[in-house]
Amino acid sequence: MIYKIIKETDDITIFARIDDDGLCRLTCTAEHSEFQTHIKAGKELQDADGNVMTQEQANQFVASLA
Amino acid sequence: MPPVTIDGSLGITTPMYNGSITANAVTPSVNMKNRIINGAMVIDQRNAGSAVTTDGAYPVDRFIVFEDTDGAYSAQRDTNAPAGFINSLKWTTTTADTSIASQYAGISQSIEGFNVADLNWGTANAKTVTLSFWVRSSLTGTFGGSFRNSANNRSYPFTYTISVADTWEFETITIAGDTSGTWLTDNGAGLKIFFGLGVGSSFSGTAGAWSGSNFLSATGAVSVIGTLNATWYVTGVQLEVGSTATSFDVRSYGTELQLAQRYYYRFTASANTYIGTGITYTVSNALLIFPFPVPMRASPSALEQTGTASNYRVLSQGGSLYTGTAVPTFDGANITAGTVGMTSLNNFVQGQSCLGNLTNASYLGWSAEL
Repeated sequence: MIYKIIKETDDITIFARIDDDGLCRLTCTAEHSEFQTHIKAGKELQDADGNVMTQEQANQFVASLA
Repeated sequence: MPPVTIDGSLGITTPMYNGSITANAVTPSVNMKNRIINGAMVIDQRNAGSAVTTDGAYPVDRFIVFEDTDGAYSAQRDTNAPAGFINSLKWTTTTADTSIASQYAGISQSIEGFNVADLNWGTANAKTVTLSFWVRSSLTGTFGGSFRNSANNRSYPFTYTISVADTWEFETITIAGDTSGTWLTDNGAGLKIFFGLGVGSSFSGTAGAWSGSNFLSATGAVSVIGTLNATWYVTGVQLEVGSTATSFDVRSYGTELQLAQRYYYRFTASANTYIGTGITYTVSNALLIFPFPVPMRASPSALEQTGTASNYRVLSQGGSLYTGTAVPTFDGANITAGTVGMTSLNNFVQGQSCLGNLTNASYLGWSAEL
């Protein structure tokens, strides 16, 4: 499973969770507890262009949204 | 003329001109005697009885599985139940793990602070509570669990015994309320109850005493995750004030569903169904509002759907039904409604009103779980 940014505005950032079968069954904000747990656990986070963030970049990015 | 009489069995007898009337004694209704929601395991909005297998899954509403071991499990709503119940929550170990020193597996319900505020835990006036439940397992012995606060820095491990394999047994656990620690009385987690199904020594403590540690179970308790194909069922879970377990607090299905929907709401279409109103704000994007049936505990921060874009359609200008070209996405929510973004490639006329349309068995789900 990975997460990818699908919408980024001044007001809100939306992430899509892409499951191992390639389907997106959940979209969320950075406040979603499952998302936070997964990012802290090292799940991959991609920016809106599909670039993979490092673990440190991902943690910093999520923290900046809080 | 005889006086008005009040009798415990006959009720109230009052004089009349030519006789008397007698009203039946009525047991007063006690609201929320049982602080557990969905204790009879009837409500299962997410799975409708299908099994879950992942850490953090909800096999029935309000009960979450924590599975941190190297084993594996399957859990679901089941129809095996003791007299007076039609459902239970069933756990099956599908991969055993016997080395779980710093790991754990179990099932938990977090009770909202508002619903346990009267217990006065964390004060000198902390009330005694009794947890009762029906349980059966393919294993026998001393099983464990715990009560914890939201910060996981106060816990009370407990034990119960299953004497006969594959037989429903009724268990009661009475504990004196905690006079220390911080116990939330708002919309946060006021009290967390955990049924241990395999808890390592790092998370196990002495049963029957409050501790400043994060104990999930009692030392030496049976590990269900440690035995392949082991089963464990539970139902009739009740937490009430006092030192005696009383009869299970039966609530109407509608009431129990609404209580559960404060924490999770899923709308599942039984056929092609119109739900949600909105506007096409570009030629390819629409925003739709979906009201929740009850105010949720907190604003949801995620939207669940099937993962198949074509399950979701938009009815807009000219009565045309536009099939989604991307799955619906979370666009915002408060405690009374969620906003969903829906997409159909360059087909909309900008600025038109629209309706959402869900095909058979597709769904939209919002969570405000603790």
